[in-house]
Amino acid sequence: MKDTNLGAFEELVLLAVGSLDENAYGVAIKDALESQSGRAPSIGALHSALYRLEDKGYLKSTEGGATTERGGRRKKFYALSGTGKEALVRAHELRMAFSHKIPGLNFNMD
Amino acid sequence: MNNDIKPPRWADNLLSLFCKEEIYEIIQGDLYETYFRNLKKHNKSKADRLYVTEVLQSLRPRLVKKIEGTQKLNNYGMFKNYLKIAWRNLSKYKMYSSIKIGGFSIGIAAFLLILLFVQDELSYDKRYEHGERIYRVISVNNDPVDFGMGTSFPAQIGQALGDNFPELEKVGRLIPYDWFNAGSNQFRVEDNLQSNYEEGFAYADQDLLEILEIPMVYGDRKSALSKPNSIVISKKKSDKYFPNQDPVGQTIFLNEDETEPIFIGGVMEDFPSNSHIQFDFFITLTGEEFWPGEQTNWCCWNYSPYVRTAPGTNSKELEEKLLLIRDNYIVKHAIESGSADVEETKKHFAFYLQPVGDIHLRSENIHDVVARGNIKVVWLFMAIAVFILLLACINFINLSTAKSSNRAKEVGLRKVIGSFRNNLVQQFLTESILYSVISVVIGIGLAALFLPYFNVISDKALVLPWTEWFVIPLLIGFIVFIGLIAGIYPAFYLSAFKPIDALRGSISRGSKSSKLRSVMVVFQFTTSIVLIVGALIVYRQMEYILNKDLGYDKEQVIMLQGTNTLDGKLLTFKEELLKLSEVKNAAFSNYLPVAGTKRDGNTFYKDGRDKIDRGVGAQRWTVDQDYVKTMGMRILEGRDFSDRASDSSAIIINETMAKKLNLENPVGEKIMNWETWHVIGVVEDFHFDNMKGGIRSLSMVRGSQGSIIAVKVDTKDMASLLESITKTWDGFMPNQPIRYTFLDESYARMYEDVKRTGNVFTIFAVLAVIVACLGLFGLSAFMTEQRSKEISIRKVLGASFQVIFQMLTLDFLKMVVISLILAIPIGWYLMSGWLNDFEYRTDITWHLFAIAGMVVLSIAFITVSFESIKASVVNPVKGLRSE
Repeated sequence: MKDTNLGAFEELVLLAVGSLDENAYGVAIKDALESQSGRAPSIGALHSALYRLEDKGYLKSTEGGATTERGGRRKKFYALSGTGKEALVRAHELRMAFSHKIPGLNFNMD
Repeated sequence: MNNDIKPPRWADNLLSLFCKEEIYEIIQGDLYETYFRNLKKHNKSKADRLYVTEVLQSLRPRLVKKIEGTQKLNNYGMFKNYLKIAWRNLSKYKMYSSIKIGGFSIGIAAFLLILLFVQDELSYDKRYEHGERIYRVISVNNDPVDFGMGTSFPAQIGQALGDNFPELEKVGRLIPYDWFNAGSNQFRVEDNLQSNYEEGFAYADQDLLEILEIPMVYGDRKSALSKPNSIVISKKKSDKYFPNQDPVGQTIFLNEDETEPIFIGGVMEDFPSNSHIQFDFFITLTGEEFWPGEQTNWCCWNYSPYVRTAPGTNSKELEEKLLLIRDNYIVKHAIESGSADVEETKKHFAFYLQPVGDIHLRSENIHDVVARGNIKVVWLFMAIAVFILLLACINFINLSTAKSSNRAKEVGLRKVIGSFRNNLVQQFLTESILYSVISVVIGIGLAALFLPYFNVISDKALVLPWTEWFVIPLLIGFIVFIGLIAGIYPAFYLSAFKPIDALRGSISRGSKSSKLRSVMVVFQFTTSIVLIVGALIVYRQMEYILNKDLGYDKEQVIMLQGTNTLDGKLLTFKEELLKLSEVKNAAFSNYLPVAGTKRDGNTFYKDGRDKIDRGVGAQRWTVDQDYVKTMGMRILEGRDFSDRASDSSAIIINETMAKKLNLENPVGEKIMNWETWHVIGVVEDFHFDNMKGGIRSLSMVRGSQGSIIAVKVDTKDMASLLESITKTWDGFMPNQPIRYTFLDESYARMYEDVKRTGNVFTIFAVLAVIVACLGLFGLSAFMTEQRSKEISIRKVLGASFQVIFQMLTLDFLKMVVISLILAIPIGWYLMSGWLNDFEYRTDITWHLFAIAGMVVLSIAFITVSFESIKASVVNPVKGLRSE
């Protein structure tokens, strides 16, 4: 289904996953979000979003990487799927299209 | 990485409770990682708090376990699969399935019918509000030689009990036997012309109504019998004589005696079928005195006392206290009347308070008026029912395990795919419960179908209790229980197959399992043979009873009843009867050798020795002078009655009495009870009790009153003779319809319970044989199937029909022979026990067992040969061709 309505938080999560390349798992994604936006979601909220995004098909996941730090519990690594990338691009385009229509709003960082 | 510092346990537990399985570990891992990171920056309590916050924030809808999870869905789905497979198996092997179900249904039907019977027997007298305080007073004679218990006491027992024992709230006496107006009478409502014969009269104290909590339709239970000459009648009779009215206060006459009018004090509800007493008329004992001084004389024992104790009374202690009555009244009377029984009485007489609920089933040793049930019979029937059910379960088990190789591949495959043994056990239990459901439904149908016949045989009015609240849960419980019992062994047996053996096809009947199967077959047939032998013996005993020389001739004797109302016309009527050519003889008497006629127990002594000797208890029958001739009794010494005047004090005694009185030459001797008699003859002992007891002492004296005329006839056309007799009767008593029975029929009725036992045994023997043979049939069919290749090869190699046949049947017949050998000692032991109840009995002979064995053997043979013959003649190619 071509539902490209990404919530703002969801979009951020996708972006964070994309930026992390290989190591995109729970805590790492949370750190990335925190360092970029200053706000960190709770683990629960984050996983909920990741779960939903995977359901929608924007993310793929693999499991593995248990460490003693985690008491031997494994991690779930996420990565952007093709569809996910498309969705991000479309979302970005949508923002751009609107912003160009607003006079006096300058997106270029000088 | 501190191993002993951990986040708070309860938070973890909370998480594990709520979190979805697949994400639980991952989230928890993230949480732990964060926790340890926090520990580096903060102290433990802060880190803990942060952890808890995180946990709480993880309780989001998307992450929480579904309540209707895939777990449940999985189980539900599996059951659907099990049922589907079970049904397919059932339909695929129709013959085996129908044998399993058929056997089960029969077993269940039998079980249900017996259950109803047992439940009815056990329900007698259980509905009293104060049932645990109601007792019947029984006299006990603890003499080791002559042990016995009786229900009768002298008249004053009521007063003696009431006055001396405050623990007895109420005392009420009953006279249930044929005595004065108790028993049967002619009943006529004042102003009516028609006088009808009625039975079911008894005398009762007013308090008896309250003790037995008799519900009243009209009138008050507390006073219905409190006035003299009152009577309480049952609703049935009230509807008959006073339809739609309240008859209280109306007058009736008994036996056409208009000098003693009786008025109706009340109408009681009919007694339910499961009550130990069944009377239609209670005549009051208030103000009643049967002869002057009767109510205070401790000579004669005719009253049966019932009591209700005060709450908290211990009946055993009370029984001890009651010995006071023995000493103050009974012994006192014995001393005063100079009886030689004083010492005996002091030593051996005791009281027993029999709880009212025990009367129907636990009165074996009590000499009672009515034939009671027997708790032993109840247990016996229950045991039989359980056995038959067991046989059916065995069939199920045998056939399921025998056919196991059919399911082997399925079991192996399921295990390979990942089934645990538990799942397989569940599957097979589900299957057996399915069979159980079907069988129970059919079984109930069968039971309902045969209930009317069973009611006839058992002489009851049983109904299936559809509407009781406990029926549905009980049924469900029963179905599950039976399914589990029958299914548990096959379930474990089948689920134990190793996958690789199963799939390779090397599962075949192991020798271990076939031993167990053989044992079960032997068990089935042993039970059947024992039942058949039981049935045969009961029938033999019945034959014996019916055909034994009784000492009198019961054939072709008509008993005309109610003749006491003829009064003065008795002799004339008798003469008229004798005029009919086919009437050989006729005699008056109230006393006949069949149950339900009068009895009169007396104590006799040699003349003059009543204070010296112990008395001999003997019957004293008043008969007319043609009695002995009419009944075909044989005089051994001396002579019969004649019409000599001196014969008014003549007495004839039987052999037993002569022996007991130690009379060497009885004829001419004088004996006495309260009058003196001279012995004119000795009659050969004849049976007048049922054959469970020996022949007791009996004497006969001459008298001309009687309410029964015994008519000895010799006719081939009974119907037309009866017409003539009826005409003669109507000429004398136009307002009283003739009533007659046949002596041989009355005699046979005395042994109704024996006949009934025989019928029940037969039915269950047949059922057991059917079930066992069904099992045998299934097994033999299966064996043949298994060995079809072998048979074909043998045939090809030249085996003849006989050889094949022999090969297939011999094993089974061996099992039946073993059953026979086992059944012999068991059957012998059980049936001896039953026969021992009878003083006069047939013997258990070898050929009974031979007959039973032959029957079972031939039936088994036929059963097995069906399949064997088929196998022996089949074209060998069929067996060898592989699909």
